[in-house]
Amino acid sequence: MTGRGTGRPVSRRGLLTGGALTASGALAGAVAATVATRDHSAAATATTVGTLVEPFHGTRQAGVSTAAQAHACFVAFTLRPDPDRAVLGRMLRLLSDDAARLTQGQPALADTEAELAVLPARLTVTFGFGPGLYRAAGLADRRPPSVAELPPFAVDRLQPAWSGGDLLLQICADDPVTVAHAQRMLIKDSRPFATVRWVQRGFRRSHGTQQGNPTQRNLFGQLDGTANPRPGTPALDTAVWSTDEAPWLRNGSTLVLRRIRMDLEKWDLLGRTDRELAVGRRLDTGAPLTGQAEHDPPDFAAVNGAGLTVIPDFSHLSRAHVTEDRQRILRRPYNYDEAPAADGTADSGLIFASYQADITEQFLPIQRRLAERDLLNEWTTPIGSAVFAIPPGCPPGGWIGQQLLG
Amino acid sequence: MSVPSRRVSAMARLSLAALAAVLVVLGVPTPAQAHNSLRSADPARDATLNVAPTEIALEFTERLNPTFTTIVVTDAGNQRVGTGAPVVAETRGTVTLTAPLGNGTYTVAYRVVSADGHPVQGSYAFAVADPRSSTNPTAVPVPSGAATTSPEAPAAAAAKENGSGAGVFIGAAVLVGLVTTAGAMWWRRRIRR
Repeated sequence: MTGRGTGRPVSRRGLLTGGALTASGALAGAVAATVATRDHSAAATATTVGTLVEPFHGTRQAGVSTAAQAHACFVAFTLRPDPDRAVLGRMLRLLSDDAARLTQGQPALADTEAELAVLPARLTVTFGFGPGLYRAAGLADRRPPSVAELPPFAVDRLQPAWSGGDLLLQICADDPVTVAHAQRMLIKDSRPFATVRWVQRGFRRSHGTQQGNPTQRNLFGQLDGTANPRPGTPALDTAVWSTDEAPWLRNGSTLVLRRIRMDLEKWDLLGRTDRELAVGRRLDTGAPLTGQAEHDPPDFAAVNGAGLTVIPDFSHLSRAHVTEDRQRILRRPYNYDEAPAADGTADSGLIFASYQADITEQFLPIQRRLAERDLLNEWTTPIGSAVFAIPPGCPPGGWIGQQLLG
Repeated sequence: MSVPSRRVSAMARLSLAALAAVLVVLGVPTPAQAHNSLRSADPARDATLNVAPTEIALEFTERLNPTFTTIVVTDAGNQRVGTGAPVVAETRGTVTLTAPLGNGTYTVAYRVVSADGHPVQGSYAFAVADPRSSTNPTAVPVPSGAATTSPEAPAAAAAKENGSGAGVFIGAAVLVGLVTTAGAMWWRRRIRR
């Protein structure tokens, strides 16, 4: 189908960071990478997106600092009553095994649609543990302290249907069929242990639509995530990964997942200048109103001829801005766009996903400032909220949660 | 099967553009309708006061949101004049001047948010010319070398008043122009065939 012959390609990132790949996988990857280098035409790339692989095993879970795939599905589970530590261990062994196979383009055990598993398209499955999982395991003392229900914010209109969860599976790939199949397999195998609490599906621009890995645009048309720490930098490691001594925390992270409804009808009434004042950035380039390019540092002190600051102090940029790496959050959001109401009113918004080493120290200060005085709140409403610990990764043969429950 | 967009005839695109423009002009409520705006001010716009004011009071057409109300005063040299934080009561926003104003021209600039969330900003100028004043102003607005310190204020600033509202009108004018042009081009092409 791809004309690539026998090699099973891996992405370059996968090859570079894939210390945990099995020997055979690494060999196949090396062969494929050689082929890929020789055969590096646009056409070849376009037809082989499906065969790209992200590593599953490693000290840290994939799907966090991994370049965001085009499609995402967040599945939150409620644990069945009285699962003890041993039962939770069985569940996580099983789901880890499924994830390890599916992400590498192999069918899960007893995969009923094995043909759907052969094109992983950079599939990642990332596990998140809600506060309830630690309670169920009798290990509340091992819960990262900041992984707790967020304090209420005045702007919140949270719905139980989009909130909470004991276990999260974040399934991302550059192909929606792959995501659907992985979701199906993982949910099937979770049935003895948990029920589905909610599912949120999101998307970004498709793989290959844009060159490189540019900042994504949300459905307001804004560049979304400009202030993120750059991939592959120490700044990202500092912001995202725990350096705690405890093995069940070290190389883990935390996730705040919020469903944010965007009022497109009301936003439509806003002129371009007003939109840019609300955000503090230009819509086209994403540059701060005081700059020329997306990553120019904003000058909050700059004033116009009448004495007003060029960037309004109530703009999203002003309120969200942080300067220290340890204060940053890694945003990996996805857009959602459900069926509109009969009158055409959009049901659209953002699945806001923020990763940080510590929610209390990083996410909450930003969120408090935004809730208090961000003009963008006029057009956005948080309708769902959940927090999860992202446990460390696991080596081949291991399972996610092993350090906590094993 | 996909049809490249350039295969769509230029005529069809032109017609669509014209139609879209008409819809935008006629079908969508003009954002300016719901906007807050400055109703009156004390000191008034372009007023020349014999006695320096102790506060600036701005009256708007809609209730103000204290969270999003900014009022700043600058002198002819573009230097910020000290004021307290804005005190908001219903439609009225007031700042108290922390030091007496000397003779000269001043710019009052405001940035507020309408009930529907639209940011509104503007500015106006007034002058203090107290015959008894012994205070030497920072920059007297008379033609002199000192005036070069403020190339933009306050005339330019005053011109920016209700900038976003003006933008809407300009936008509407451009659209009307577009529709007219597109219509004319379409008519000419039709006649030629």
